[in-house]
Amino acid sequence: MVRRRPEQFLPLKTNWFHIMLSLVGGGQHGYRIMQEVRERTDGKVRLWPATLYGSLKRLIQSGLIVESDERPAAEFDDERRRYYELTALGRQVLDLESERLKDLVRMLHARRRQESRS
Amino acid sequence: MSPWIQRAGAVYARLARAFPGDFRAVCGDGLEQLGEDVVPLVWREDGTVGLVRLFADLACRLPTEYISTWLHVIEEAAMNADLFEGTWKSNQQAQWDPKYTPEQACLRFEVTDDGYLLVAYGIKDGQAVAERPTKIAADGRRRPLVDLNGRPIPGVPPGAMATGSRPDRWTLEGRVEVDGKTLGAGTYRVSEDGKTLTVTSEGVGQKGPFKVVATFDRVVPDPYAAR
Repeated sequence: MVRRRPEQFLPLKTNWFHIMLSLVGGGQHGYRIMQEVRERTDGKVRLWPATLYGSLKRLIQSGLIVESDERPAAEFDDERRRYYELTALGRQVLDLESERLKDLVRMLHARRRQESRS
Repeated sequence: MSPWIQRAGAVYARLARAFPGDFRAVCGDGLEQLGEDVVPLVWREDGTVGLVRLFADLACRLPTEYISTWLHVIEEAAMNADLFEGTWKSNQQAQWDPKYTPEQACLRFEVTDDGYLLVAYGIKDGQAVAERPTKIAADGRRRPLVDLNGRPIPGVPPGAMATGSRPDRWTLEGRVEVDGKTLGAGTYRVSEDGKTLTVTSEGVGQKGPFKVVATFDRVVPDPYAAR
């Protein structure tokens, strides 16, 4: 269980990025994460249960997410579920990853502009 | 739901239970439940192909998790001895909080199945004192803060949850929270030569807020080691 500095997690694995993105709005359980990733990516990214839980385990061990004890209101809660939430380190890593992705897109646009001029 | 699909769900749950102990310690029965819930959904949406993929995902992940567990065991075995295990005695560089200044302080880490048992003792105001032994399970999970017999600890607010983690080989971290607020947090870091332990601890105790940065030297030979 090695916790590294935030920048050492970059680039984030695709599965990790999608899982962490699903947790930005608050704690979610495995089933909801799976559904949300599928909906958000129009089915292009599909996390199958064992892959999802393998990633959740590694995210917990890396200190990026933690099992949450905050649960939704009883009417929305399924007591069988375990909820996961981002840690402060997880949020930092996600911010850095989105900056990295933004930089890449910026770089790509700059190259394209250069290409179209020449 | 057809009995066939129900049976597929049960088979999935049974296979999920075959995952190694360290996987189940972190994920609990989440995979079993999710698999069981997902089987009918996948069948409805993707038919046989979906079910094949669902089980293939499980079949691929199972050996991966065992390999990861074995690698971890081998890595642990390759390490000479546990860095924390043993007895540590405070040295002159300790910066104790004025309210919590002992004349002498010792820490003893004992390795348990799921982490460490930490015993703190020493001399304060000329009297031998000992703190309640604490379990540190360094797996990143939150657990209710209770004594070794699972009973509430006097002075600890109800609902207090403890988390332990092992950020790296040399560091152990512990945190106690109540309702999302941190009551106390501590870091135990062993020097690279394994001879010094630095403890940083901060929080709110029975006598108010405290902050301690204390360094301990390893006691060699360990007075409590089995001969």
